[in-house]
Amino acid sequence: MQIELKNIAPKFLEKEKIANSQVWQKKLFFEKGRKIQIVAPSGSGKTSLIHFLYGLRNDYAGSIFFNNKNVKDFDNIQLAKMRAIHMSIVFQDLRLFKEHNTFQNIEIKRALAPYHSVSQISEMAERLGIKNKLTQQAETCSYGEQQRIAIIRALQQPFDLIVLDEPFSHLDENNSKIALNLIEEEAAQRNASIILADLHELPFFKADTTIYL
Amino acid sequence: MIALANKNISFSTITSFLKTGNKTSRFFGYTGLTVGVILLLCCVQMYINLNQLLKEKNPRKNGFDFISVTKTITNDNMGKDNRFSDEDVADFKKQSFITDAAPLISNQFRAKASAGDLIPFSTDLFLETIQNNFIDTVPPTFNWQVGQQDVPIIFSADFLEMYNVFAPAQGLPQLSESSISAVNIILECIDANGKSTKFSGHIVAVSDRINSVIVPKTFLEWGNKTFGNLPQQPAARVYIKTIDANSASLQNYLQQKNYHVNKDKTKFGRVKSTLQAIIAGLAGLAILVVLLSILLFSFYLQLMISKSKDNLQLLLTLGYSPLWLSKTVAKKWVPIFAIIILVALAATQFFQFMFQQNFIAGQDKLSPFIDIYVLSLAAILFSICLFANFGLIKKQLYKL
Repeated sequence: MQIELKNIAPKFLEKEKIANSQVWQKKLFFEKGRKIQIVAPSGSGKTSLIHFLYGLRNDYAGSIFFNNKNVKDFDNIQLAKMRAIHMSIVFQDLRLFKEHNTFQNIEIKRALAPYHSVSQISEMAERLGIKNKLTQQAETCSYGEQQRIAIIRALQQPFDLIVLDEPFSHLDENNSKIALNLIEEEAAQRNASIILADLHELPFFKADTTIYL
Repeated sequence: MIALANKNISFSTITSFLKTGNKTSRFFGYTGLTVGVILLLCCVQMYINLNQLLKEKNPRKNGFDFISVTKTITNDNMGKDNRFSDEDVADFKKQSFITDAAPLISNQFRAKASAGDLIPFSTDLFLETIQNNFIDTVPPTFNWQVGQQDVPIIFSADFLEMYNVFAPAQGLPQLSESSISAVNIILECIDANGKSTKFSGHIVAVSDRINSVIVPKTFLEWGNKTFGNLPQQPAARVYIKTIDANSASLQNYLQQKNYHVNKDKTKFGRVKSTLQAIIAGLAGLAILVVLLSILLFSFYLQLMISKSKDNLQLLLTLGYSPLWLSKTVAKKWVPIFAIIILVALAATQFFQFMFQQNFIAGQDKLSPFIDIYVLSLAAILFSICLFANFGLIKKQLYKL
């Protein structure tokens, strides 16, 4: 999937911040299969950018194009399809079903558009060290565990782009590397792009492009 | 590219993400709907029964009813002319529910009948005439030309019956319908000066429909001119020909004009319109109950969706399509609505069977099974429930 950002700028952000950014009000174009790192200090509009990309918010100027189609023009059904098979996401606030267990949280995403079989869920959970957490209620897991649940959930579907918003904020470096490895493998399988946004540059993420928001 | 698997996911996948609402309101919603639908279906079935039962109650000719209409004589109008003018007759004919109307013209001279020496019987007589097509039994000999001595008469069956009741007490012989034609009647027409002209009359037919002594129109017109010497007088009676003597519009028309009819012929009409009004009232009530239950049910759905709002929102965020979610959630109620409609149909069938067996003792004129219209209505109600339900859910989900 080709991604094109054309002069986008949040309507609510201070002009000064927009002026100093490498993303806001700039033209950016990414071919498919790229690894893009966005480094964004607090308050620079990182999460807003992620939400713009995912079609959750529309309060910005400019346009975002996926394969030359403007995200703003997507209707409910097209957005649902995009989220189901073209774009996957790990939210900063994770967005898990708190009352359901870990497995249910992952399975509900897998059932929608299964890329992997059910058995892959426990394999991935084992790899990320949360296999014994699969039957535990999501709310009772630690934030680090919840982050890994959200990552596994994001890898259950087909996608051309995966967007990660501070996905390793509560993981140690070793666990972060394991998780990133898994993500990179899965993205490579699908020939998909990765956009990883974080407060600072991650030394173990070998990005093709690093942009400062 | 992997196709969207939405189609393959069942409701059970998302069922744990929906929080159900208040059980009591759900129960009352279902109960109300069931009662309402039963009531509505029964009303329609009873309406059909009523029309079926009261359809054929009158002696009919070629599917028509013939009714004699007079003006109601009250204390207020007693002294006035209560006969029908030409305009009154024309007004009858104008009504869509009246096929034809004909005045009964009566004699304007004194007429006497006697049976000669054989039967010592003599009476003053009234003669009437009406268009031939209003008489149920018109033999080909029923006509008269000026100069003809022989006058054919059509006699009311009721009069014959009455004669036969009183004849023995008077020492007169009783007569059958066939033997009456053999009786030679001497018909005496007396003009204003008391001059009498005799004709030989004989009864050519007996009529069940018209309570009168009917002579050919040509004879009465000639007689009224010759003996009566008066201008044409209006008729006191009008016969109307109608498709349905029990139709509500005919009843209303007669009532409004203050016309009097043979109650026997239209009493079913009055029963029918009363019953129809009751059934219509009940049907209205049933529709209200159905609407209220759907309303209650919609509150239940709104509550359920607002309780599950966070989960539903997250499902949408994860890529579940709002249309698919609406359809899937709505599908959950298909079996429930189906059961409600089937229960109502079964109940209506039961009532119809009991009605047919007990109320009219299993007579053929009413089917023990529910009518096709009731089945169609049930199908329509089912569709309405499904669409209303789907519409409500969709509206709520698209709002999220």
